[in-house]
Amino acid sequence: MAANFYDSSQAKFWTFTKPELANIRQEQEKTNPQLFAKHPMPDHRHINIFLQGNLCKLAKRMALRQQPLATAQIYMKRFYTQVPFQRTNPYLIMTTAVYLACKMEESPQHIRLMLGEAARQWAELGVTESGKIGECEFAMISTLRSRLILHHPYRSLGEFSSTLGLSPEEQSLAHNIVNDSYNTDLPLLHPPHVIAITAIFLAVVLRPANSQPAGLTAHSTAHTPVGGAGAIQGAAMSGPAAQSALAGIGIWGQGRQVGQQRLAKLVDWLADSRVDMNAVIDATQEMVSLYDVWESYNERSCKEAISRFMKDSPGK
Amino acid sequence: MNSTPYAPHRHINDHYDIVGFISSGTYGRVYKAISKRNPTVPQTKPTHPDGRPVEAFAIKKFKPDKEGELQYTGISQSAIREMALCTELSHPALIHLVEIILESKCIFMVFEYAEHDLLQIIHHHSLLPRTPIPSSTLRSCMFQLLSGLLYLHQNWVIHRDLKPANIMVTSKGSIKIGDLGLARLFYKPLLPLFSGDKVVVTIWYRAPELLLGSRHYTPAIDLWAVGCIFAELLSLRPIFKGEEAKQDSKKAVPFQRNQMGKIGEVLGLPRKQDWPLLVAMPEYPNLQSVSMHNPAVSRPVGLDKWYRNTLSNQNYSQPSNPPPDDSALDLLRKLLEYDPLKRLSAEKALEHPYFIGEDGRGDGKGLPSWNCFEGLETKYPARKVSSEGNEHATGSLPGTKRSGLPDDSLLRPTQKRREV
Repeated sequence: MAANFYDSSQAKFWTFTKPELANIRQEQEKTNPQLFAKHPMPDHRHINIFLQGNLCKLAKRMALRQQPLATAQIYMKRFYTQVPFQRTNPYLIMTTAVYLACKMEESPQHIRLMLGEAARQWAELGVTESGKIGECEFAMISTLRSRLILHHPYRSLGEFSSTLGLSPEEQSLAHNIVNDSYNTDLPLLHPPHVIAITAIFLAVVLRPANSQPAGLTAHSTAHTPVGGAGAIQGAAMSGPAAQSALAGIGIWGQGRQVGQQRLAKLVDWLADSRVDMNAVIDATQEMVSLYDVWESYNERSCKEAISRFMKDSPGK
Repeated sequence: MNSTPYAPHRHINDHYDIVGFISSGTYGRVYKAISKRNPTVPQTKPTHPDGRPVEAFAIKKFKPDKEGELQYTGISQSAIREMALCTELSHPALIHLVEIILESKCIFMVFEYAEHDLLQIIHHHSLLPRTPIPSSTLRSCMFQLLSGLLYLHQNWVIHRDLKPANIMVTSKGSIKIGDLGLARLFYKPLLPLFSGDKVVVTIWYRAPELLLGSRHYTPAIDLWAVGCIFAELLSLRPIFKGEEAKQDSKKAVPFQRNQMGKIGEVLGLPRKQDWPLLVAMPEYPNLQSVSMHNPAVSRPVGLDKWYRNTLSNQNYSQPSNPPPDDSALDLLRKLLEYDPLKRLSAEKALEHPYFIGEDGRGDGKGLPSWNCFEGLETKYPARKVSSEGNEHATGSLPGTKRSGLPDDSLLRPTQKRREV
């Protein structure tokens, strides 16, 4: 638990291998063939981007902090491994996840306030009684098997950033990349420190050319990484060994003296640590492909896909 | 498959037979239960982490906030904490959670059943003819309690409500810390601990820094409570049995003058030369008023004398049951240390000579046992479980109930057999 990630329920019960996760999703489709045939969904990363964007709007309205928001996103990710997305009211699930996460992260919000703010944010919510959130909370806790304590990459990110002496811009970019990682499956696949290292790695390699506003999410950063994306992807795929991947990226950073020094330091540090480099490479690829997918994200088509199945079965 | 994704997965009555009622409080009730005798659905035999089957269960049922409430009102933060922490934590000296069932607006937390608790054991010994708790039992209880507490603190959890009634003892002599309803994580909190719950820890076991209004507190508050429990196991009555000043309507937390006075009667009032940060405590200006209301604090008994009086009042007559030696007094003194920075940590307490002796191996007594009843002839009476469901919610004895919590209104179960 808090002392050791590998003893936590997150490590023991809510971390999957890729085939396991793929299998879970296939099973869901197999047991609900009509639902999935009638309501095909966009790429699940597009859905995640949509959900994150909406959660951020609610968080802004309620002046919530990063941590409960991240926790809410993980609750939803886990919930949707057990329940088909199209069977729910995603707006109610978002509201409930935030409500529960705020309690868990010691910044509780009153259930009626929660309902009021969510209803003002989303006309689609369609819920007028706070009891519905309470009922959904029961279902969510039950589905998550009461495993509500989470480990996020932010803690490791802070520690590693100071160890490596990252610049404020790099730190802020790494932080935004971690925020973006919540749109991928990474939180269900890798320990939080792997995601933190991946974010630092990307931040150092892709160093922000000009400083960008650090919002709750880095989706503004989506444009910057794409430039370097090909280079990383190529490097990482060319060989499984960390060294070759890192060497490949080193070339990309040529001509930028400071960056190279930092990169060299990072490479040394990674070599000394006992970090699972294959996991870092895999996570790097996931992030790069997220930014690729982000290019074709369309908010409206996600919203419409959701309202179509909600009209069909109001997700009660 | 269910058409609604929100239906409960398991039903309490499919898996358990309630055999009796244990206690009640405003949060709900605790029942004793066994595995379903005539099950209609497939059963899995619940086991302890070590593989032993769980024979009996204590089921804590949280009722909806208002009786007869037709709506879900949202689960209290306290219940959420207890559910999440009990699910996450696992240690031999911590009560084992079997499962949680959420069904028809109620939460059922299913725990392993423990036959006794420390309050019950203290009570048993204080019945006439009074007998002291055997030294070996005492030492084992303290050792196990501190081991469990070390585990909690290593996992960044402060219990915040340690007292004899919350420390269970199984029939095999294992100590099990229970009731994590007030416990919480203290790793880099988003808000200071104070702002969440203005009042923590039952008054008799509340650490001086809390009594003095400290905004930031640490796991050391649990060690003060352990010191109080140690003293109570020795003397069979609470060492600092004060009266709680009630919160007024404006939610201002009053200064606990009476409780501070009770501590002062034994230890004397805290002084800034012993506790440098004392003057920074919000209630420091009120400290002087304690001696005006309670002149005894100016002539404190002193912990040494308290200890000697206690031992001589106890009936340590039989040669088979020698009293604890002075290392017990030394441990007690270091737990009941005013300055939280100087107070022993759980880790240091476990290295104290009281447990490991001067030679590190227990000085011939051996290291403390994980069975606090080892070598004992007496058998403690089993917990009283009433078959009829009539609950005696006796209310307001400070040793038994939890003080008012601004973040929710969950109270501790009231224990019926509390000696006053």
